[in-house]
Amino acid sequence: MEIRDKKEGEVIILEPVGRIDTNTSGEFEDKIVEVLDRGETRFVIDLKEIDYISSAGLRVFLMAAKKLKSSGGSFVLCSMSDHIKEVFDISGFTPIFTITSDQATGAEAA
Amino acid sequence: MSENHQVRNLNALLEVAKALGGEMQLDNLLPIILQKTTEVMDADRSSLFIYDESTNELWSKVAEGLDEKEIRFPVGIGIAGDVAKTLKTANIIDAYDDDRFNPEFDKKTNYRTKSVLCMPMMNNEGNLVGVVQVLNKKDGESFGSQDENLLEALSVQAGVAIQRAQLLVAFVEKQRIQESLKLAADIQMGMLPKNFPAFPDRDDFDLFASIIPAKEVGGDFYDFFLIDEEHLCFVIGDVSGKGVPAALFMAVTKTHVAASTIPGVEPSDILFRANNDLSKDNDQGMFCTIFYGILNTKTGEVHYSNGGHNPPYIVREDGTNEQLDGTEGIALGVMGDMDFGVKTITLEKGDSMYLYTDGVNEAMDAGGNEYSYERLEEYLRSTAGKKSTEIVSGSLDDINSFVGSAEQSDDITVLMVKYTG
Repeated sequence: MEIRDKKEGEVIILEPVGRIDTNTSGEFEDKIVEVLDRGETRFVIDLKEIDYISSAGLRVFLMAAKKLKSSGGSFVLCSMSDHIKEVFDISGFTPIFTITSDQATGAEAA
Repeated sequence: MSENHQVRNLNALLEVAKALGGEMQLDNLLPIILQKTTEVMDADRSSLFIYDESTNELWSKVAEGLDEKEIRFPVGIGIAGDVAKTLKTANIIDAYDDDRFNPEFDKKTNYRTKSVLCMPMMNNEGNLVGVVQVLNKKDGESFGSQDENLLEALSVQAGVAIQRAQLLVAFVEKQRIQESLKLAADIQMGMLPKNFPAFPDRDDFDLFASIIPAKEVGGDFYDFFLIDEEHLCFVIGDVSGKGVPAALFMAVTKTHVAASTIPGVEPSDILFRANNDLSKDNDQGMFCTIFYGILNTKTGEVHYSNGGHNPPYIVREDGTNEQLDGTEGIALGVMGDMDFGVKTITLEKGDSMYLYTDGVNEAMDAGGNEYSYERLEEYLRSTAGKKSTEIVSGSLDDINSFVGSAEQSDDITVLMVKYTG
């Protein structure tokens, strides 16, 4: 899957494109681990170009949050479509993540 | 080439072909190739290096006359490495005059390498399989052009035999993985209650459940049992991900949830306990969405908690239906000490609850369209007066006919409990 990454100030912004499901979640996880290994600790994951997240995809967010928490980093999700927001709401994940409406507020919160 | 020589060489090749033909195990094959090569080439020693495409290295396990151990080095290093890189034969009169030669091995083993003939081994498709190297021609001379021809003929045979053995290893490994996945799927399915009617002596409720597993083992499950004479517990869950880890986590979840169920305790407290157990040492970040209900078979009252699962439907006797309100709660295993809410709904005689996993609403047809909640609700409206068995089977049929020829990517699980008072 395509995952763009850029750095703005101290914050790493990841922009995955398409679906995060059983087939692509491994790649997405590898990307997050790679950026974590570079020593980055402040993350924004912009989901504006994600059409679908399965439970395997949610697991990657969970792993990333756990890893960052143990290393004192922070992690913000932004620009979710209603459909993606629903996936987070149903699974009960919404309260455990910081979620913002757009990238700019996401970067401030990270 | 003298006639004598030709006969000797042909016989040698025939012998090698016989020896290699019967051997399918790579570990046995390599010593045979080495022994035959040394013999036929009238050399003092031979080495065989196998090409590892994934790391672009050469490795060798056997070094004749020395203890067996694995050595590895990158393509491009040493004489053999250079031959692997350039795919060109190296015929060297004295290794110590060649820049590529590394004398370390000689020093360690107290050996004096002189003449070297080193050649790439290719498979039928013309790809590198390894490198064969013979050392020190026994009559003291260096290797000649007829030696080159002979080694080439040998290495073609050896290359094909090695490739065949490698293919066999890959095939056996694949078989093994498929068998273990099949076993995991069988164990998982074996954990689900499947004898229906499940409560033949009860006429106050009617329950049916069914699961269509995806090709790759997934993590859906359901469960139901009487907590006491008047309380029926019914559960549906969906573990994140697929494969053996999901099947294992599903087994653990089902066990913890059942073990946490105690008469008189609310679903919210049961999920709280099960979640704390499952969140401990959960390094893989696995989780399981779950819906847990308890039906009071006397009053029709259902107490339920939802841990991040798709909201079930309440389906009235006439087919009208609506999604249940959610409760506070998160998928089990995410983190400990999370609160779960509990809600109550009362079923009238003839009302049912339809529980399902996201394999239902997300089932996809060949055009990439989802079955969707709308289609599910439309189907449920057509179920007036039916028993839970018919409603569940009909539901799976409806999904099947929607999906058509598209491949099923997720488990599809449905559980229905009807209150008949």
